[in-house]
Amino acid sequence: MQKMAWLFVITTVLAVVASAVAVIWLYGKFGMPKAVAGLAFMGIAGIGGLGPLIFKKESGKVTCDERDTLINRRAALAGFGTAYMLVGAVCMVPFFVLGPLGSISVTWLPMIFMGAGICTFFAHSVAILLQYGWRGKNGK
Amino acid sequence: MANSELKNQIRRLRFENGEMTQQQLAERAGVTRQTIIAIEAGKYAPSLTLAFRIAHAFSVTIDQVFQYEEEKLQD
Repeated sequence: MQKMAWLFVITTVLAVVASAVAVIWLYGKFGMPKAVAGLAFMGIAGIGGLGPLIFKKESGKVTCDERDTLINRRAALAGFGTAYMLVGAVCMVPFFVLGPLGSISVTWLPMIFMGAGICTFFAHSVAILLQYGWRGKNGK
Repeated sequence: MANSELKNQIRRLRFENGEMTQQQLAERAGVTRQTIIAIEAGKYAPSLTLAFRIAHAFSVTIDQVFQYEEEKLQD
């Protein structure tokens, strides 16, 4: 579980950094509508989902027990809690910035959804690593 | 997850049982070695089922492995 969490943290950070660099570069060169294409680099985060294929379970060996389940459950709670707060903040910001009669483009909605999803998995992975200890000192 | 009130004798019992390794105890109890390390260090309080499995691995009663310090709660 720790290896998969590390994989997801690394791939997510790489995806966010690559996307930010691409969007900034494209914005400087082509302007705003085309700069959004830089978000395609967020696809790097998808590699994190390949964790179960990369780190295969050793047969006949206990790899997950009650403590791992508890850690995973707490991490999931942290992940969803973080996403809830993020979505809440994103919903409130336009109200205070644009005012009660302001409006935003609907193109923000899928981006908010994608951001919330990535945020959930990222917070989940970080919470797993924190509970085990960054270097697995509680375990290894 | 840390539980300072729950003390355990796992380390002593391992050495009294032919210097049993944490891995061997983990295999007998059906958990990972990391969980045995966490329990032994008092960082994780096991479920009642797991506590029984650990006690069975040493062929002793559960209270010979785990002791609950009640005084700390009253302070």
